[in-house]
Amino acid sequence: MLRLRGVHKTYRLGQHVVPALQGVDLELHEGEMLALTGPSGSGKSTILNLAGLVDRADAGEVTLRGREVTSLDETAATLLRRDAIGFVFQGFNLVPVMTVAENVDYPLFIAGVAPAERRARVAAMLAAVGLDAHAEHRPDALSGGQRQRVAIARALVKQPALVIADEPTANLDSATADQVLELMRAQGHARRAAFLIATHDERLLARCDRVLRLRDGRIAAAPSAVRPAATEEVSA
Amino acid sequence: MNTHLALLRWLRFAAANALRNRRRSAVTAGITALGTAAILLAGGFAIYTYQALAESSARTTGHLVMAKPEQFTRDEDVPLQHGLSGWADMRRKLLADDAVRQVLPRVEFSGLVSNGDKSTVMVAAGIDPDAEFAIKGPFLALRDGRVLTSADRQQVMLGEALARSLKAAPGSSLTLLASTTDGALNAIDVTIAGTVSTGVPELDKRLVYTDLASAQKLLASDRVSSLGVFLDRMAATAAARERVQAVWPALAVQTWDEQAVFYRSVKALYNRIFGALGVIIGVIVVFVVTNAMAMAVIERTREIGTLRALGTLPAQLVRSFALEGFVLGGGGALLGVLLALAVTGALLVFPVQMPPPPGRSAGYPLQIAFDGTLYLATLAAMLGLATAASAWVARRTVRKPIVDALAHT
Repeated sequence: MLRLRGVHKTYRLGQHVVPALQGVDLELHEGEMLALTGPSGSGKSTILNLAGLVDRADAGEVTLRGREVTSLDETAATLLRRDAIGFVFQGFNLVPVMTVAENVDYPLFIAGVAPAERRARVAAMLAAVGLDAHAEHRPDALSGGQRQRVAIARALVKQPALVIADEPTANLDSATADQVLELMRAQGHARRAAFLIATHDERLLARCDRVLRLRDGRIAAAPSAVRPAATEEVSA
Repeated sequence: MNTHLALLRWLRFAAANALRNRRRSAVTAGITALGTAAILLAGGFAIYTYQALAESSARTTGHLVMAKPEQFTRDEDVPLQHGLSGWADMRRKLLADDAVRQVLPRVEFSGLVSNGDKSTVMVAAGIDPDAEFAIKGPFLALRDGRVLTSADRQQVMLGEALARSLKAAPGSSLTLLASTTDGALNAIDVTIAGTVSTGVPELDKRLVYTDLASAQKLLASDRVSSLGVFLDRMAATAAARERVQAVWPALAVQTWDEQAVFYRSVKALYNRIFGALGVIIGVIVVFVVTNAMAMAVIERTREIGTLRALGTLPAQLVRSFALEGFVLGGGGALLGVLLALAVTGALLVFPVQMPPPPGRSAGYPLQIAFDGTLYLATLAAMLGLATAASAWVARRTVRKPIVDALAHT
């Protein structure tokens, strides 16, 4: 579903050139939940950015659903993001002037989905994340956990092939983080979305199908063992 | 249908964004409103002035003025050298036209007016008094005595300053002296019927009105200088000119605006003054909207990154910010329209008198014309400026790398 081959990425900070990724190979399968972990600056966010088509690799190949995406122009990349990729941000990044329902509806709206179908899908998604009673609330009226559930609903409502999640539990307390993790697993797997997650959260790492540890822009450890339960869910 | 719904959704989003920082939006809309009102009031004042001057000019000369071509292009060696003969027959034919309300013959001449002890220069006109006053209405302010009638012979109305200079009053006798069409000097005795004011002090020092027959007797000619053709409405001018010119191709037919030098000068001056005012106000509105939107764009850089990551095209975001400018500019412009309408209405209920313009002795009521085209054009200009300024401000940020936008704090 997602494949990175020999990917290099450097950033320029004034006079200094900082190597963010140095020949990363990675493969993510449909319905799989893959965690990237490692210290700050190890390259987790850079991989998420490249996989989410919000940044470009300097060298190497990124393919999404068999399509090479490194050379896509900005419009094509935007349209591919719109149709195939969902995002869950650490800070939720909901639009404050939109209601919960409008936030969840937004990806469908810009994709040009018909209003009646949008209403049905948004209602179903909000019910799935347990926020149907809050549909007309503004994000600032919700708790952190509720906001992240809205963000998950927004990411999943268009049934993307890939969900990019950057520290999705970093701003949540333990109980709320557990709920959010369970929600991501349940709803993500139900929709056969692949998850690429950057996290330091050990609870989250324990629930992922695979974990890749990064150090200095390279994969430091071989993929961890696949969780049997998750494998079953993926193949179901 | 879906396109309309989508536009409505973007518009709602823009309106919600416009209300995020209410104080800033209120200031922006307020300045736009004041700018819009200023343009509408200044423009309305200019249009009212143009209309008033146009009507005044047409009332003075007639909508059309017919004369020999030389009358408009050359000075006369002797009075009525370029005058019209057979004008009574022309007048009859002109009056048969449905659009023609009146035809006023006019003899223009200059000479001296004397009270026996003192003589001074006069600028005189021989008119058909009944027809003149009937068609023009009260175009002169009667200061003393009465106005001329067509039955009067060898009677005059004097400008009030001229009457004062000659120590003349209604009932006094004066002598008018002028060259005849043969170049000889001629004089007639006249009685003062009344004194009048045109509102222009310089004119009032020289003005003499007499009846047509007395003027022709003084100049020893049955010609007239010109015929003033008064139509039933201003809009009929161009068509009537064509008809008249077709019947008398040897004559020159000028329209009222070709005769109205003062009207043209005022219009040219006001167009420049109020045009410059409009440009200045437009620039201010652009700066205010640009500043407000620039702050909004900076504050929302991270949100822009989020929306871009979710798959929003840069053009869609530019459009969203442009709509936000449209909402702000539109709200302000509509407020400005209401303000201008309120002031325009208030001036009708509570009249304000303006001081006399330079060279005039009488003031005039301050009035503002309501002109639909001016309102629509101003509204469209304000909306266009606010929309374009917002789109211009947003265009760079929405193309900022998404990673940088998301990292913006």
